[in-house]
Amino acid sequence: MDLEDFERDNSRNQLLVSSVPDVCRTEDCCLGIDEAGRGPVLGPMVYGICYFPVSRKKDLVDLKVADSKTLSESEREQLFEKLNAAPDYIGWAVHILSPNVISTSMQQRAKYNLNALSHDTAIGLIQYALDAGVQLTEVFVDTVGPAEKYQEKLKQRFPGLDVTVRPKADSLFPVVSAASICAKVARDRAVKGWKFVEDLGDIDTNYGSGYPNDPKTKEWLARYLDPVFGYPQFVRFSWSTAQTILQSRAAPVIWADDEDAAAGSTGKSSSQPVLSSYFSSQKEDCQPKRHRFFQERLLEPLSDL
Amino acid sequence: MLSRKKRSGAVRSDQWVLVAPDILNESAQKPTNKTLFVKLRSPSTEKGVLFLFINSGEQICELKAFHEEYRSWFVGQTVQQDGRLLYATPMDPLFLVLYYLIKAYREQEKFQPLEQIVVDEEFPSCNMLLECPRVAESIHHVTEEKEISSKKFYKYSKEKTLAWLKKKVDQTVKVLKSSEICVGAGVQSANFIRTKQESDVKEEDYTCYAHGLISEYLPVDLKEELSKFLELPEPSSPAQEPSSKKRKFSDLPVEAEEDYTKFNSDSKHKKPNSKMTAAQKSLAKVDKSGMKNISSFFSPKSKSKAAK
Repeated sequence: MDLEDFERDNSRNQLLVSSVPDVCRTEDCCLGIDEAGRGPVLGPMVYGICYFPVSRKKDLVDLKVADSKTLSESEREQLFEKLNAAPDYIGWAVHILSPNVISTSMQQRAKYNLNALSHDTAIGLIQYALDAGVQLTEVFVDTVGPAEKYQEKLKQRFPGLDVTVRPKADSLFPVVSAASICAKVARDRAVKGWKFVEDLGDIDTNYGSGYPNDPKTKEWLARYLDPVFGYPQFVRFSWSTAQTILQSRAAPVIWADDEDAAAGSTGKSSSQPVLSSYFSSQKEDCQPKRHRFFQERLLEPLSDL
Repeated sequence: MLSRKKRSGAVRSDQWVLVAPDILNESAQKPTNKTLFVKLRSPSTEKGVLFLFINSGEQICELKAFHEEYRSWFVGQTVQQDGRLLYATPMDPLFLVLYYLIKAYREQEKFQPLEQIVVDEEFPSCNMLLECPRVAESIHHVTEEKEISSKKFYKYSKEKTLAWLKKKVDQTVKVLKSSEICVGAGVQSANFIRTKQESDVKEEDYTCYAHGLISEYLPVDLKEELSKFLELPEPSSPAQEPSSKKRKFSDLPVEAEEDYTKFNSDSKHKKPNSKMTAAQKSLAKVDKSGMKNISSFFSPKSKSKAAK
């Protein structure tokens, strides 16, 4: 797993893939999907897939892959090396979603929420495997949101595949456990090797787990708050934890699409004309209006500096 | 043009971004020259507005602020909350003097020395206008002049002023045309780039527009007199935009912009559709150049219909 490209520019997403084993192009394969780092306010979210021929399911059980949450970091690394050491039949791919991309997706004008982002990333990875020539027949997914809906969505998107979406799939299906190990290892490595693009001097990287309820994480967030810029790109701005601190302690920033800004000092009526106003003759303003040349160009006279 | 920043001791709004003529840069290098901001009476609104007197009035600039909501500046290593972009653009100081000439003429119709005419208790700096070389050069365009024992006396002349303003309007029309400014009655986006010139814009539209633009610098009475002098039609309101044309993004309940499913469900719709194509073809051939902008249907003329 070569994270060099991602470390060079961690403001973009990065897809990392193993080579595709030859048997996977000829034999029916199963594929597992899992994610790591969905909850933390810090760092990337990683989606992982693992695939191998259906006939080799037993070999995975022998490798003793298990739900990544029950394993220590070093155990996960070891298991990942085992998976990696079997390139004759196991293939994997991980998609690292930069915290910057998560922030900008969730906060753009046309909101793109985390579930949609997750679903699309999962779909993208299945499509990647298909495009790479993997003979997929079965897909196992750990659910995001209601399992039935998600399963329906995936089945509609991939009618040729047998899709199973289950909560806790990572402990039920070895192929999902393997995928979760790939994702978790990638996430750990990405966080560990995180290069801050911002000039923060000697930054204290003791930020705890990165989960919003971790007191260490909270303290770190409070410490590295810049009143103007907020946080380094390592932080997911869209998390309510980050937003609460920004709202209470950073300089207020008003965007054109902020709802309270639109209804702000002038009130709603001024920004939204009533339909009937178009049909009545224009009210004669007592004070002369600026000529439309200036109005259209938003030019105002200057009475003070 | 140059953009420059200035700092003062104030905590907020301590910087502004200004686009000004090059002459300001030259002036800054000569410390003997007097360049300063002066608050004077706007001839049209009678309120105080700022002007920039460069080199003791060698060049007088009016100041305008481009002010769009939700803007701030990053200037060097600082943030400036005031996101306005200030423009200092050269103007003819005669417009500022004209206000006082008319006022003096209205009070007493007699010849007076200029320093008795250009007097303003509220804006005493207006006497700086007297030092402007351009005012002395051009004041004959708007006044009758008498010279008694080498002292000059002036009286406002409406005829000369209107002739002078007509020239200003003609000059403005030229610039409007060469800068391809949309002067038509239809509401148009300034951002929209047209591939061809509007064909339905009349000469009169340009004159109206130029008259409106120049009137920004004239007292209201003179604006009307100039309108009559130019034989412009009575101002009608449809040229005015509805007050708020702001782009709104999310306030209204949103429906899909192109909901094709509406047509898919009903097979009846398909047949007329295929029949339409022939008609559509012939429609496409029609000369559309004389068609009205939709906004013209919302003018007061159609009010009676709408009320029903």
